[in-house]
Amino acid sequence: MPYDIIQASEVMEHPSVQSVLEIAKELIYQHKTLNTELLYNTAKKKLGIPRRGLLSIIQTLLNRKILVEGSKYTKDTVMNNRFRRILYEFIKKNLGTHFSLIKSELDINSKEKNISPGRLIWHLEMLLKFDFIKKVKIKNYTLFLPSEVSADEGIIHFILRDEINYKIINKLLDSNLIKVADIYKEIEEKRELVYYRVNNLIEIEILLQKNVDNKCVMINPKMNKILKNALRKS
Amino acid sequence: MALNMNAEVILDFAFALVAFISGIITLIKPNTRKIHSLHFIRIAIFIGGISMLLDGISLLILNIPLSIIEGFLNFPIALSLIIGVNYVLKENYNSFGFIVTFGLGILLLYVGFQPGAAEVQFQEGYFRIPWIGLFSLLTTILYMIIMGYIFYWGIKTVRNAPFLIKKEAILFFIGITLYSLTSIVFYILYEFTSVFILVSTSIAIIGLFIFTLAITIEPKLLYILPFTIYRIVVKDNQGYPLFDYDWSKSQVSESMFTGFINAVQLMSEELIKMGGLLDVNVKDGILILHESEYITVGLAASKASKLLRDSVTKFTFDFESKFQKQLKERCRDMKEYESAHELIEKHFSNFPSRLIPSKTHPLLLTERLLELPYTVEKDLKKIVPERNDFEFIKAEIFRSPESSTAGFFSLYHEIKEELDKLKTQNNEIEMK
Repeated sequence: MPYDIIQASEVMEHPSVQSVLEIAKELIYQHKTLNTELLYNTAKKKLGIPRRGLLSIIQTLLNRKILVEGSKYTKDTVMNNRFRRILYEFIKKNLGTHFSLIKSELDINSKEKNISPGRLIWHLEMLLKFDFIKKVKIKNYTLFLPSEVSADEGIIHFILRDEINYKIINKLLDSNLIKVADIYKEIEEKRELVYYRVNNLIEIEILLQKNVDNKCVMINPKMNKILKNALRKS
Repeated sequence: MALNMNAEVILDFAFALVAFISGIITLIKPNTRKIHSLHFIRIAIFIGGISMLLDGISLLILNIPLSIIEGFLNFPIALSLIIGVNYVLKENYNSFGFIVTFGLGILLLYVGFQPGAAEVQFQEGYFRIPWIGLFSLLTTILYMIIMGYIFYWGIKTVRNAPFLIKKEAILFFIGITLYSLTSIVFYILYEFTSVFILVSTSIAIIGLFIFTLAITIEPKLLYILPFTIYRIVVKDNQGYPLFDYDWSKSQVSESMFTGFINAVQLMSEELIKMGGLLDVNVKDGILILHESEYITVGLAASKASKLLRDSVTKFTFDFESKFQKQLKERCRDMKEYESAHELIEKHFSNFPSRLIPSKTHPLLLTERLLELPYTVEKDLKKIVPERNDFEFIKAEIFRSPESSTAGFFSLYHEIKEELDKLKTQNNEIEMK
């Protein structure tokens, strides 16, 4: 039956319409950028439907919202998603943030309450894929940082989120070299908590050990500037 | 009586024949026939055919009065064409061109009845009946006006034609250009050497033939209006959507559109008493709202139009009749109203779709028709059991670079492992 004379209500069941749909699916599965020209040319070649009939079918698929306007994401269009923008802004504002923190903060503050972990990870993956953010591994945490922020800066911001770390670093910036044993007294925190953190800070080279016997520590001079900047921002 | 048969007579008859065929096509081809613009353009084409037929006969039998009548016909041709084009552009017959043409036409009638308006002369090897003096000047001016308007209409049509019928619109424009611009160049040359009338008529025939071919392939070219309709929405009187149809990407926001429909429904009784029709002017266009017993129909367009209002009214009436049973039963399943597409064809077939702005405009297939590879779907369902999330990510996968799915699974496992480790670590701390 020619396409032109079939009833509007039966259009979607028409074999030619179904064949064009199959071709559209095939092109999408092949990860090709679908457009009228490609669909028209491919369908014309495979099905041999006359031009007007084929254009009418494409038109019908558009009118019935089977074919919709849109393209594969690009760096410009991927941010059209509102939640993705919120997520990116959050990562930019909260340098050195990790998954649990993002999830709990966005659950509280965004309009999309209780976003599922799967959906959140998908958005993070899209931001990573399009190079808006990068991830840095530190100990057991995966930190998400804006691409333009250095890994060191991100790690320092992450470290400074912890109140005891913050106090330790502040203390060490004031007094260049200090005995580990004195730190907990100076900052009035539990000894074991301070020791645990100092060891971690040494491990990630934010602190350097001096006079190993006296167990003194100092800020790694390479980190000094970044730390001061981070403290100013925090 | 010997007939004055010559090439000009044959060309005149050929032109008349093509013009009549063209006129008949404009009568039978379009789905929507009651369009003012088309009506007047059709009249112009038919009178054009009659005019050339009279020209041929007057030459054949060397009859001066017939030749003068043919000259007079330039007046109704020009008037009909101007009215037609004015209706296309502004839904009104009046314009400066109309007044000027009317004045010239009256003068032409007066001059034509004066002695010596035309005479038999021997030119280029055969007898002709050229118009003389002021009558000749006035017919030439009217001829120029006719050609000018035809060309202007051609430009407007090709510019406003949507992508889907662009190819036919270009063919249409080639025909119009040959018929108007090219033939007029040779018509001017004819003022110096009479043989050019043959070239001018031949080119006009070719142009008219191409024009006829184009409108046979795509009759919508005859009434491409210089405004766009965006969307029609049908809601029941409780505000539930029953049907919608898009012609192009709307400049009027969805919330504004819905808001006005809701507002109209609140004042439904008063509105029905007033005839049910309301125009709302908004910054980026106009909303035409029609309230009836069971439904509210809203149409968004770039410009108000009487034609559109009429179409909305007729569509509303037919929609209610066609779906009377469903509407009385308060059926809200949009699938039940799918066949309203037939009513769109019936009442709005003269508005071409502009959903595809260009052939390279990117498209996507609705995600409900797309299927993920089996393993991907299985793994994704495990990770995202909630249906909405699953559908969202599925739709995103088809819009994302090829490696995004693998990246997503890998990131998911990385974060899951991290959360497990942290949980264990926290448990150990608590134990201590």
